[in-house]
Amino acid sequence: MIKRRLIGSLGVATATTILMVVSFTSAPLEGQAPGATPWGHSNLEGIWLDVYATPFERAPELGEREFATAEERTARDQARMVNPGRNERSQSAGQDVAGAYNAVFTSARPAGPRTSLVVDPPNGRIPALTEEAQRQADAEQEWRLMLLRNTETCQSAAPGCNGGEFGPPSPSRFDVSPFYNTSRMNRHFGPEDQSLGDRCMLGRTPDFNGFRRIVQGQESIAIGYDTGQGQGFQRVVYLSGTHPVTQIHLRHGDSRGRWEGDTLTIETSNFSPKFPFRGSGANRTLIERYTRLDADTLEYEMTIEDPTVWVAPWTVRQELKRQDDMQNRIYYEPRCHEGNYGLPALLIGARMDEQEFQAGRGPDPFSMDTATCVTGLPE
Amino acid sequence: MTTMTGWFRGSTIVTAVVAAAVGAVVSVSVTGRAGQGQGREQTTRPAQTPDGRPNFNGVWQANNEAHWDLEAHDARAGMVMQQGVYPYEFAQVPAAPVVALGAAAGVPGSLGVVGGDGRIPYTPEALRIKQENAEHWIDRDPELKCYQPGIPRAMYMPYPFQIVQGTDKIHMTFGFSNAARVIHLDAVELPPDYTYMGHSVGRWEEDTLVVEVTEFNGKTWFDRAGNFHGEGLRLTERFSPMTPDAIWYEVTATDPGTFTQPWTIEMPLYRRLEPSATVLDYPCIEFAEEFMYGHLRREQLVERWEGETMIVDITRKIPPGDALHDWYRR
Repeated sequence: MIKRRLIGSLGVATATTILMVVSFTSAPLEGQAPGATPWGHSNLEGIWLDVYATPFERAPELGEREFATAEERTARDQARMVNPGRNERSQSAGQDVAGAYNAVFTSARPAGPRTSLVVDPPNGRIPALTEEAQRQADAEQEWRLMLLRNTETCQSAAPGCNGGEFGPPSPSRFDVSPFYNTSRMNRHFGPEDQSLGDRCMLGRTPDFNGFRRIVQGQESIAIGYDTGQGQGFQRVVYLSGTHPVTQIHLRHGDSRGRWEGDTLTIETSNFSPKFPFRGSGANRTLIERYTRLDADTLEYEMTIEDPTVWVAPWTVRQELKRQDDMQNRIYYEPRCHEGNYGLPALLIGARMDEQEFQAGRGPDPFSMDTATCVTGLPE
Repeated sequence: MTTMTGWFRGSTIVTAVVAAAVGAVVSVSVTGRAGQGQGREQTTRPAQTPDGRPNFNGVWQANNEAHWDLEAHDARAGMVMQQGVYPYEFAQVPAAPVVALGAAAGVPGSLGVVGGDGRIPYTPEALRIKQENAEHWIDRDPELKCYQPGIPRAMYMPYPFQIVQGTDKIHMTFGFSNAARVIHLDAVELPPDYTYMGHSVGRWEEDTLVVEVTEFNGKTWFDRAGNFHGEGLRLTERFSPMTPDAIWYEVTATDPGTFTQPWTIEMPLYRRLEPSATVLDYPCIEFAEEFMYGHLRREQLVERWEGETMIVDITRKIPPGDALHDWYRR
């Protein structure tokens, strides 16, 4: 039972944290100089990727230091290689299945020169949440912990229960979640209880992990993202016009670009509340800048602002490396949904667990952790 | 009284079907307001790109009934039909999944877009499968599940799409399901697996963009009438400018396992001339969740009502071999 359920939950779910291992091109490619398009715009076309692993936020002890030393990069690479969670088995079948994705499946990009993707504020850390956003984040966390409180995860004080405690099932466990859920929870009443990744709707803007293919027209630019596991998406950047009326909400927002010299500047608004980024939904606005530094390097900078979530805007910067056009190693046909056995299998497993429990043949589903996948695994 | 609420809850399946069918009506936005003089201005887009190609940049959409049925067909009373009072096929009436939607759930007639005698030259076995597909449309059409629509279907679905015309690549972004295709005008390796949207390699023959599309996985359809193909499908598309705002679009389909000979569809594609035409996404994965997974909920949303409340009692039997996992393995 546990195995079946976990397999179901792993079908797509684990995909949210996995990139396929491919051979990234970081050495210069020959014969393709940057130049300009026939209509005089800086040429950004190609497949681009951040080939390095970089912490999203900077370790506090590094202060305002933006770049790592060679020794620090080596240390980061070594630390990742010996992380026991990446390739270990446990005594429990459930834990074993949950940990089955080891370093063979997960990408292992080398440590990059930056100490963090966040470059502004200068300490490389995302600004504080507003009081209201913090209250909402706390409420969400409280809800997820409530659903875990009767599980082994909380009983053993495993990482998945951090901030919670073991106890009897909560009387609130049958309620509609008091927020619009987009993340995994230890309950599977229907699709709404699952994460966007489990539902094959993980892709959201901005994205920093995946491959990007830029196709450049004179009046609009297409950016195709290959991210997650078959959960990529397409954006069209219009080089004219204005954002639509505020009643329009789009999954990836409405993107309007302009050329500032050789830099493509894109402003994006009109986001849907259904596809939040780090808790920021419909109120976020992005300013992204793409600048071709040389034949194989594209600088990407993104500033996000949402005064309802963060007390200040913040900025990410990446140096993307051009990948081989001929090899065309980008998965531009996101087709997670087409083969998503995981979601129906997970729901079927949950219904079977309920029936077994009601018939007195199985444990209370709320006493089992089918959400965190990290029960007891060492950190 | 909660009649309206109840009606909407009960007809979720209907809504999913209809949402897929009529979504395009709301899929293009115009940010300019009527009365500001913006609406009647002609676009000032040049007919050619600076590198001398026809300028296909912009938002495009077919304006025909091909998405219902490529072949010539009469108007039908409902997307899903059943026998009415008479035994004649032409006297069928709307069936349960759409009957609550009245005249909004019918199918418009069409002269068809298939060349020659107007019929797709199926092998006898393929014709039988096509007819079965039509009978089990709700269970089998990938569109209802929000799957990748495939080529050529994406080109004439009732949703706008964007053409971004680069020099080495042409990118098309479709409103439906955020699907896309890249037409490679330069040399490129084949994809590592068969695909829903095909592998498109294009070339210019004077002013016509000719695209060879291969590497299909055989899981996509041509329309809502059950017209289909196998893995052997190969397409030759021809995009020819008629005017700066219209493209003559021809597709020749070859699949020896399904068709006795190559056949061709042709139609105009029209530029959306609204000054701020934009491809708005039709993010239908979540729209199809109730349709696909509603029966797996702990508490079903589709119920039967009593009293004055309208009862929409839907029996949707999935025939053997058409369940989700069967379909994917086919």
